[in-house]
Amino acid sequence: MQIETALLIEWVVKSTILIFALLTGFAYTTFYERRLLALIQVRIGPNRTGPFGFLQPAADGLKLIFKEELIPANAYKFVFILAPILTVIPALIIMAVVPWGGAIELFGRQIALGLTDINVAILYLLSVASISVYGIVLAGWSSDNKYAMMGGLRSSAQMLSYELSLGLAFVVPILLAGSMSLNQIIEAQRGVWFIFYQPIAALVFYIAMLAEVNRAPFDMPEAEQELTAGYHTEYSGMKFSLFFMGEYMKMIAVSAIFATLFLGGYRGPFVDTYPLLGPLYLFLKVFLSLGLMIWIRATLPRLRYDRLMAFGWKILLPLSILNVFVTAVIIVVFGL
Amino acid sequence: MRFSALKRDERAGYEGHIVPASSLLEVAKALRDEDGFDLLSSVTAVDYLTDNEEEESFFEVVYHLYKSTGGGAEVLRVQVPRENPVVPSLVELYPGADFQEREAWDLMGIKFEGHPDLRRILMWEGFAGHPLRKDWKEVYFEEEAKPFGNRWPGGQVYRVEDQNPYGKNNQYPDGFDPESWVETEDPLLYENLEKAAREYTEDIDTEQVVVNLGPQHPSTHGVFRMAVRLDGETIVALKPVMGYLHRNHEKIGERNTYIMNMPFTDRLDYLASMSNNFGYALAVEKLMGDKVAPPERAEYLRVIMAELTRISNHLWAIGFLLNDLGAFFTPALYAIEERELILDIFEATAGSRMMCNYFRFGGVARDLPAGILPRMKDLVNERLPRKIDELDLYLSENELVRSRGEGVGIITPEDAIAFSATGPVLRASGVPYDIRRADPYSIYDRFKFDVAVRYHGDVYDRYMIRVDEMRQSLRILKQALKDLPEGEILTGHNPYQVRVPAGEAYGRVEGPKGELGYYIVSNGKPSPWRYHVRAPSFINLTILEKMCVGQKVADVVVNLGSIDIVLGEVDR
Repeated sequence: MQIETALLIEWVVKSTILIFALLTGFAYTTFYERRLLALIQVRIGPNRTGPFGFLQPAADGLKLIFKEELIPANAYKFVFILAPILTVIPALIIMAVVPWGGAIELFGRQIALGLTDINVAILYLLSVASISVYGIVLAGWSSDNKYAMMGGLRSSAQMLSYELSLGLAFVVPILLAGSMSLNQIIEAQRGVWFIFYQPIAALVFYIAMLAEVNRAPFDMPEAEQELTAGYHTEYSGMKFSLFFMGEYMKMIAVSAIFATLFLGGYRGPFVDTYPLLGPLYLFLKVFLSLGLMIWIRATLPRLRYDRLMAFGWKILLPLSILNVFVTAVIIVVFGL
Repeated sequence: MRFSALKRDERAGYEGHIVPASSLLEVAKALRDEDGFDLLSSVTAVDYLTDNEEEESFFEVVYHLYKSTGGGAEVLRVQVPRENPVVPSLVELYPGADFQEREAWDLMGIKFEGHPDLRRILMWEGFAGHPLRKDWKEVYFEEEAKPFGNRWPGGQVYRVEDQNPYGKNNQYPDGFDPESWVETEDPLLYENLEKAAREYTEDIDTEQVVVNLGPQHPSTHGVFRMAVRLDGETIVALKPVMGYLHRNHEKIGERNTYIMNMPFTDRLDYLASMSNNFGYALAVEKLMGDKVAPPERAEYLRVIMAELTRISNHLWAIGFLLNDLGAFFTPALYAIEERELILDIFEATAGSRMMCNYFRFGGVARDLPAGILPRMKDLVNERLPRKIDELDLYLSENELVRSRGEGVGIITPEDAIAFSATGPVLRASGVPYDIRRADPYSIYDRFKFDVAVRYHGDVYDRYMIRVDEMRQSLRILKQALKDLPEGEILTGHNPYQVRVPAGEAYGRVEGPKGELGYYIVSNGKPSPWRYHVRAPSFINLTILEKMCVGQKVADVVVNLGSIDIVLGEVDR
């Protein structure tokens, strides 16, 4: 009984840390994005609130809390309120299976850095990731706004078509590691990161992941130039910021998953001796991946919607199927 | 002229021919098909209202026709009585007359018989009367012409609304209730949209949706609205709606004295105020004759400023076209960085970055300040060529830019001419028509430059033509800066009031967005009797509907961006 209580406390503490890390991460990802974009675009960016503008996210959050919340007269209220929640929750829980380090010794207990290690972690990731599309579709549908409707429709079509490639890109690390547990996959990358074995799978994964989180150049559902703000056109105040939060937390989450699957997760030099370096290495990898996303946003124009679908179905999907096939054949033939 | 119906205009200071309304179509058809006057530049109307019992009051509809191969104008006039003014519509022959005839109907009340969609275009539906008629008085009308009388009689402040002779003459048309009227349910607009949609047939029977893109929309470049019917993501019908920024520029211009209009033209296309000044100065100088011929140095300064304006405008246009493509502000901000350097020069010379108010009749307002010439030379010879090459290098071959631009929004050369498109829009369709060459003004005939032309007429070519034009402008600038002579910058002194003899003039320049024309009628008084602006971005919009139908929603935004409009000029 004694141990059970300790385990419970451990989980609660780790969950709290994880949620806080994600919320802070969300706030500072927006800041990171604004500063990096500004740097790329020969501007300065927010630098007035606190030293180097570090308090900017706090100010933004405070502002959003005090904003008026509007609900359109003809909106389907229940769904309208439910939609942002449905977007945020998956983004929060998806990180549960991603390990952030090895095990450390604390209060005489072995504590694994990572909330949980389930043996079907990959299936968990896939299923949770696809829930968030409901939030977007429902938001678009319940707003009673044509732009929102179109944004919602676009996003459901886009996410469905890119999820296939994403799923197939997941298969490659599974084949290489021979396990669906993320810890096993990280262990399998002890020598060489999978990105070096499988650059194509990593590329497909990264592209599909951009589409999955609606980042440029796949930011179709909220294509500002055409659909004003897409599915969240009618949202304001905290409900809007929940969508915002969901998007940015998903960015962090998929970056962490990308790092886990292809960049060796929390592994790095001396991580076996000093397990606390694990979260730091993971943080660095996520930081770089986020930077790449922001860089892409600052650089590339948006694809047109029909070309985007064509790209997903005609190029990305065959490519990933071929890649999985070739990998599987090689593994079987050479018995790796 | 072959037609017996044609009568040479005998009035002093006028040119062209007077055509009876009944034979207008016949004459226009012959001029277009046989004499090659295929480009209808401007359609406008003048109200010749007179108090004199012996003279007759009438409306005159004025058409300026040009050849797309270059040369001077053929001016046609149709005179109609002020009661029931009806003129046959030229839309069948020149589709480019569409918006201009609607404007003449809206502001002057000329009925164009046979126009397919004769609705108000700049004013709203709840507006009574036609404001450009000389007997129309606005709400709180004060006096016919500026400068208004002393507003402080005896040092006492009084309220204008207590003094005006017409009171609060705010009216609505018959049967119009402003309280119940909803703009998005405007029956006239949607009936037309419906009509256009009926001609579109699809195999799959799907429900079409009407979406109003705008007036508050991030990529209409201002308060511009497009009512579109969508079948899925495909545009079935599109109607542009404008006038949200309308301030009746022309009516105000007819109250102003001639020189007061100079800063007022800055506000038309606020990104290219120097070009606006240029056109207006040319028109008034044409009326005033040789006594205001600008001195050499002023001519050079005019050309330098106009070409710098063209570069800064195209930098802006390209930047924001890329933005419309979804490139998140990066190209726009890099382009704006260069534009700022040009604006620095304007600020040093004219005193203002955007509202330059630099031209005067017979020259320019100020000479270059000390030390600015080396900076201009450095900019033109060193920095800008490098930066334009850089822009070209990074953007032109970009896979996404090409795939979004090539084959999108194609305008054939025939259509471009028929729809009166001018400027980059026309030249990107393979028509090498540039007023600087076709009908040279100022000293453009002295410079070596090529008329940039591209042949596909799609969005990508309309982007590329702007890059080409910037390079040609740099060529002109290099020559002009090298040859810039010393000397006077203004003929005579800088007058507060100019005397303009009676007559008419049409001054046009190749503005960055197209042919910018000013049609001015003077009756010898201190203010113009008629002051009409042929706004290129307004008339280039005529072809928007044709460009967009059958394409995707995302392309509409790009098509609009590739026309490059400024709402200050569209709505005037």
